Amino acid sequence: MTEKLQRTAITPKNPLLNASRAGNLPHVPGIRVGDYIFLSGMVPVDPQTGERSHGPIAEQVRMTLSNMRHMLESAGSSLDRVVRVHAVLADIAHMAEMDRVYREFFPSEAPARTAWSMQLRFGNGCEIECVALAN
Amino acid sequence: MSARREVISAAGGVTNAADGGSPPASPAVRGGDFIFVSGLTAVDRQSGERVPGTTASETRLILGNLKQVLQAAGSSLDQVVKVNVLLHSMLEAPNMNEVYVGFFPDPPPARTVCGARLPDGVKVIIECTALVCRI
Repeated sequence: MTEKLQRTAITPKNPLLNASRAGNLPHVPGIRVGDYIFLSGMVPVDPQTGERSHGPIAEQVRMTLSNMRHMLESAGSSLDRVVRVHAVLADIAHMAEMDRVYREFFPSEAPARTAWSMQLRFGNGCEIECVALAN
Repeated sequence: MSARREVISAAGGVTNAADGGSPPASPAVRGGDFIFVSGLTAVDRQSGERVPGTTASETRLILGNLKQVLQAAGSSLDQVVKVNVLLHSMLEAPNMNEVYVGFFPDPPPARTVCGARLPDGVKVIIECTALVCRI
């Protein structure tokens, strides 16, 4: 009696945050399938302009996680339904600063997380992806 | 009915916070029928202190801790579907593999291994996604 799972693309309510479409990149911001939402790596894009914003790392992380919240809420989910996060930094020295801002968004019952550093595209200081439960 | 989300807080062995506070991540989170385990580093389960060692010794400690985390979450190593291993150097991959094979059944889970910059001088980070045994 297994139902066939439906796969649907997620579209942000703010069209300026559809960074992959704006950049003509071959991915969508997220996919919902069954009970799960899989988001693409979110980056610091200014929700007012749709442009990448490369301020201090704390601002970049805050903007990225705000965009993640917007994306999840656009899909009818929320940050407190996130189960897994991959947090990637361009510079490993920014880990403590990222953690400080990260706590503002996940103050309790935080998701599972893995954090590391590697080369990121477009000069982004961070890129954060997640798996969340749909509501 | 939406899928259940449950933080597995009783489990030990998670990454220490870079800023010295409590970790901004739960060791594991259940979402629906899956357990999402954080990227684990080599820590002493009792004290939570880092135990720096070789790639092989860190891998052994992490996988021992992972077994405990999965048990606390109602899963086990033979229910793991996907593993991500991050190494400080890909030259160390054979040393990780030698220890790794002893922990998983045949056939083992799907796995990806990457070399990356890891926080706090850790040599190995291992995360996984597993099925819940008790539904």
